[in-house]
Amino acid sequence: MELLISSYNYWIYIILMMIGLYAMLAKNNLIKKIIGMSIFQTAIIVFYVSISAKKDATIPIIEHGKGHGHSAVISAMDYANPLPHVLMLTAIVVSVGTLGVALALAQKIYDRYKTLEEDEILEQLQEQAVSDSVMTSSGCDNDK
Amino acid sequence: MLLNIVVITLTGLGLFFFLATTVGILRFPDFYTRMHAAGKGDTISSLLILLGLALYNLHHLSLSTALVSIKIMMILVFFFMASPTATHAIIDAGYESQIEPWHNDEEEQA
Amino acid sequence: MIWSFDLLILLFMVICAFFVIQVKDLLGAAIVFGVYSFLMCLLWTEMGAVDVAFTEAAVGAGVSTVLFIAAVHRSSRQVKPRKRWRRPNKAVGLIAAGLLGGVLFYASVDFPDWADPSSPASTHLSPYFITEALADTSVPNLVTAVLADYRSFDTLFETAVIFVAGMAVFMILGQKTKESAQVGIDLTGGYEDTIIRVVSRALVPFMQIFALYVVGHGHHSPGGGFQGGVLLGATFVLLAISFDLKMVLGRMSEKKNLLLANTGVLLYSGIGVLSLLLGANFLDYSILHTLLPSTGPVVARSHAILGVEIGVAITVMAIIILIYTNLSSGGTNEKGL
Repeated sequence: MELLISSYNYWIYIILMMIGLYAMLAKNNLIKKIIGMSIFQTAIIVFYVSISAKKDATIPIIEHGKGHGHSAVISAMDYANPLPHVLMLTAIVVSVGTLGVALALAQKIYDRYKTLEEDEILEQLQEQAVSDSVMTSSGCDNDK
Repeated sequence: MLLNIVVITLTGLGLFFFLATTVGILRFPDFYTRMHAAGKGDTISSLLILLGLALYNLHHLSLSTALVSIKIMMILVFFFMASPTATHAIIDAGYESQIEPWHNDEEEQA
Repeated sequence: MIWSFDLLILLFMVICAFFVIQVKDLLGAAIVFGVYSFLMCLLWTEMGAVDVAFTEAAVGAGVSTVLFIAAVHRSSRQVKPRKRWRRPNKAVGLIAAGLLGGVLFYASVDFPDWADPSSPASTHLSPYFITEALADTSVPNLVTAVLADYRSFDTLFETAVIFVAGMAVFMILGQKTKESAQVGIDLTGGYEDTIIRVVSRALVPFMQIFALYVVGHGHHSPGGGFQGGVLLGATFVLLAISFDLKMVLGRMSEKKNLLLANTGVLLYSGIGVLSLLLGANFLDYSILHTLLPSTGPVVARSHAILGVEIGVAITVMAIIILIYTNLSSGGTNEKGL
């Protein structure tokens, strides 16, 4: 029971991360892959935030009146660790930027191939490669 | 003491309406009736709970707690404006995409 | 720190994540992903990370859901069934995820106990931040102090990353000439809804004031440049949804957006260069007290943090508007959602 309470949330982050990884590897649709990437990202972010948590600690904003003029001593035990918060706050906002880039690329792919399914895009690419090689080989024949 | 009773009544009522909303979403037959339950129940229950919280915060009356209560009341006002509009937008989108309302066939035959 | 409450939210999150990748309708997946983000925001509030939760509520549950919907709306909505010959993909994915998951489970035994105050992460550097930040910078919100002062290099380059991401979206989608582009699908169908327009027009000024408050009051309460910038961008996205893209572009044209995005990064790095010129290190704000009247070195740091946050907010706002307008119109800026 002690072990369960002390580390069950790590296991759940691992499960979330694996769901994201599976979606990125196995899903056929590009938007689904992007969602998988976002889930993977959030699993890492929630892991970072959770290591900043402390028992019996409050939010990392010092109460008004406390510590001004060093009248009261601020104890590090009383406040949650602000450092992972800072790292993850910027990471979240950057993740929306990367999400925008990923969606823009997906939209460009859709404009060109009229589909977002990976296998259909691959099929079209193979057909194109075959027709290209036919073209070039016939071009070589003409040269001879 | 009196304040406590008022706070408990308000939050209790809010939770009751939340429960009713959930039952409504699960039990109603079609899109429109479900949105009816979700929109109305959600708004009233959130308003009641926020009101309860604003009053609960006034236990130690001072400038800072009064300020927090005023902020909660402002959230309440904006929620009261935004939530019905969102419900309206969703139902309107459903109507535009021609979702058929539910009819009770047995009643029509009888 | 109530572990049973945490467990409940985490279980809901796993269920949401599972349904997000299983559901066939991409629009539904986007909405469930918004729910997932919102649960995550609750979890972080519960863990005491209020600033992070605020950011996630604005970004994850708000803006990224809208971006997903815009992208899905411009492409196909349904996931097509997989063709037979690509079947092994699923097994490969399962095996890879299972193996990596097993290794991580094995490693998780060595992690410190959850919420342990004496874990390595909370013992080396962070006690200094917690005990000294108020005396150093006179900013009670430790996250803001660490973000914009102690780790301002990091934040400067994160802002630059957002700027580059916005530029990338602009380069990928924004090159289309208006003739060659296909006409966007008009969701409203020429239908104008009075209620939505009136309410959003009434709410937007208050939302913008609130966003400015978040930027300015970040020293004392959760908030700061990133959250305020996202909120400001979201107000324009709301206008673009309830009216149309033309109206937003009339107020904030693409050129203006690009200029503003540049201005924000320039403001941030300009404060850094200014302290460099006065003889201190890059982004060492305490020297700025020679320029500002009647401020000591400590208060100068507090004021410089505000300036930096304003720069961040301007960049984030402009980039969010830029990404949305390009994504929802396929780069043509003609018709949006």
